[in-house]
Amino acid sequence: MTPIDSATNPHKASAGISLADSADPRRVLADRVEQIYSQMPIGIAGSFVISVVAAIELRQGRFVEIVIFWAGLVVLLTAATLGLYWSYRRSTTKASEAAQWLRWLAISALATGATWGFAAAVFFPSHADEQQVFLAFLLAGVVAGGVPMYAVSWPVYALYAAGIIFPFTYVLATFGNKLFAEIALLIPAFYALNVAIAYRLNQVFDSGYRLRHAYGKLTEDYTALNQRVEQQLDELLQAQREVEASGRKLALFAERSPIAVLQMDHNATILELNPAAENLFGYAAVELVGRNAIRTLFSSANPVLGGAAWQSFIETAKPLSLPPAGCVRRDGIEVSCEFTLTPLVNEDGDLLSVIAQVRDVTQVLEADRLKKEFTSTLSHELRTPLTSIIGSLQLVNSGVMGEMDKDIVELTEVAERNAQRLLDLINDILDIEKIESGKFVLFPEDIELDTLVRESLLLNRSFADRFKVRLEASGGLPGLEVKADRKRLLQVLTNLLSNAAKFSNEGGAVEVFMSVTDAMVRVDIADRGTGIPENFRDRIFGRFAQADSALTRQKGGTGLGLAICKRLIEAMNGRIGFEDREGGGTLFYFEMPVAKAFAQADK
Amino acid sequence: MPQQPLNRICYVEDDEDIRRVVRMSLERIGKMTVEVVADSTRAVEAMVAFKPDLVMLDWMMPVMDGPAVFRKMREQTETMHIPVVFITAKASQTELDELRNMGAAGVISKPFSPKALPDQLRSIWHSLP
Repeated sequence: MTPIDSATNPHKASAGISLADSADPRRVLADRVEQIYSQMPIGIAGSFVISVVAAIELRQGRFVEIVIFWAGLVVLLTAATLGLYWSYRRSTTKASEAAQWLRWLAISALATGATWGFAAAVFFPSHADEQQVFLAFLLAGVVAGGVPMYAVSWPVYALYAAGIIFPFTYVLATFGNKLFAEIALLIPAFYALNVAIAYRLNQVFDSGYRLRHAYGKLTEDYTALNQRVEQQLDELLQAQREVEASGRKLALFAERSPIAVLQMDHNATILELNPAAENLFGYAAVELVGRNAIRTLFSSANPVLGGAAWQSFIETAKPLSLPPAGCVRRDGIEVSCEFTLTPLVNEDGDLLSVIAQVRDVTQVLEADRLKKEFTSTLSHELRTPLTSIIGSLQLVNSGVMGEMDKDIVELTEVAERNAQRLLDLINDILDIEKIESGKFVLFPEDIELDTLVRESLLLNRSFADRFKVRLEASGGLPGLEVKADRKRLLQVLTNLLSNAAKFSNEGGAVEVFMSVTDAMVRVDIADRGTGIPENFRDRIFGRFAQADSALTRQKGGTGLGLAICKRLIEAMNGRIGFEDREGGGTLFYFEMPVAKAFAQADK
Repeated sequence: MPQQPLNRICYVEDDEDIRRVVRMSLERIGKMTVEVVADSTRAVEAMVAFKPDLVMLDWMMPVMDGPAVFRKMREQTETMHIPVVFITAKASQTELDELRNMGAAGVISKPFSPKALPDQLRSIWHSLP
């Protein structure tokens, strides 16, 4: 048995374990039984041939009946052992019941041995010396011949040989011949020697089978291990391919990206950059790699990513978007850039590198500035002439210039009204422009809604008078406050009130109701007009939305009022809408969150 | 609050038509004495000569705009304490705040109503400290 190093067998933990010991003893036994049975035919045939020769040779000088009886025994035994052999061959339980098959075999071996023992006991007491020598020779032969047959299991051999030897020894010892008695003393030693040889052979076979099985098991283990290693290798290769593919994809993204991408280390030293970055900053990649991004790219006056700011970014390792910052290209041209910094950290949270995405916003900022300037200029250039026109007409119409012809006054009033309309339109367009460009700033404050609504009624009274319409408020909410831009909320109220007045019948009334539910306050502005045409309802809050252009010329308005109202109310976290009024007319409403309810206001 | 009623107004404005409307409004409706100045670079000299109670400055003017005139006024002893009201077509809230921060007594946005202008000026005049 060869002790092997445990390292070659990963399933054994401790060192010095014998390889053969790792074999499954049941499988070793099954193999041994198989081996014995496989030799049976030779044994049976040999034994039978020798028996036939012995029967022929020994038949002279004896009762023929005894020889026939013995021959009968041999035939029966041969048939029985053949039967056993046959059963074993056909058996499906060779391995699982190996021990039982071995017992059967032991019985058969004992019977075979005993048959020879019987022959020795019966035929030896002959007076023919040559026959005695012949029989002794035969018996020694079958005893020795049994060794290779049964040595795979030494107890089987021991039984077999005992069956032959002991009757013969007895016969020799009791024969009355001194020489025979001395031989009878030697025979057990001969027996012991043979059994010892069988025992030794048994061990050799045993260890051989155990080694075979251990090796088989080792091979299986090795194969399984090998398969696992191969599988892991495959997975690794697959993972590697995926990483490479995603790496290529990323590289491609960066390569083709119109946005400049730079990779930096924790000191802001540039490690890598894409073509867009080369274009943006006017450097070749080789010129920038290894240089400090902050010192090289930012204009010296720029404090956005100064030492402390960079340090704190590195320490927090959180993505950072910087406001537009001034950068200097290689050719000295200044550009405004938006930086988005993303730290790359590993699983332990250590910073590997920093990815900076840089967008040139110079033109965007410039366009923005131009647009602002344009709006401001337009506002001024349009309002200045209108100031003169409206101012002059107002002075004329106010009567301070003295009495004038009725027709002239009528015309100057038309002129003033339309100049005013033009001014409203300009104001509305500027409003919409401001709201939609996001340049619109609200100045929210806590406003007592009740007061504001009454103020709006006062302001619009003269307008309503022109249409001979009364403005009435009911359901006041004293003390209740909303958070809103005062001027803008007044603008909304004015818009809704003047709309309602315009579309009311002469002599009618515009009614304003206020109500509060939970956290929302609602203001209704209701008229008894003709209502909103069906086909106009879904675009009533759109720009330049007017149901009837003829009516517009008659009653004025820019068609932007409701669009502005909707945007203003929504900017103040409210909601605006309209519904048909029971009994005819339309009801516009807006809802806003309550900033301060009655209870608090009363204190 | 000033003791005497508002009487003498100096208006610096480059647009001739608006100058006329404002002069007519203040003289006819407000019964005030008005000096209009077209050239903003000579505005401070005119003020020194005219000695107005209150100055109205247009915001946007060529060569020297309203804020520049305002700053120049604040540098001269004779004009240093004269209250200034800006007239502007600029509507932006930030710009209005900017004007107030500069120390303007008031801001009237264009287009203004000539009927209401004298009263607007008087109300600013009376609210002065």
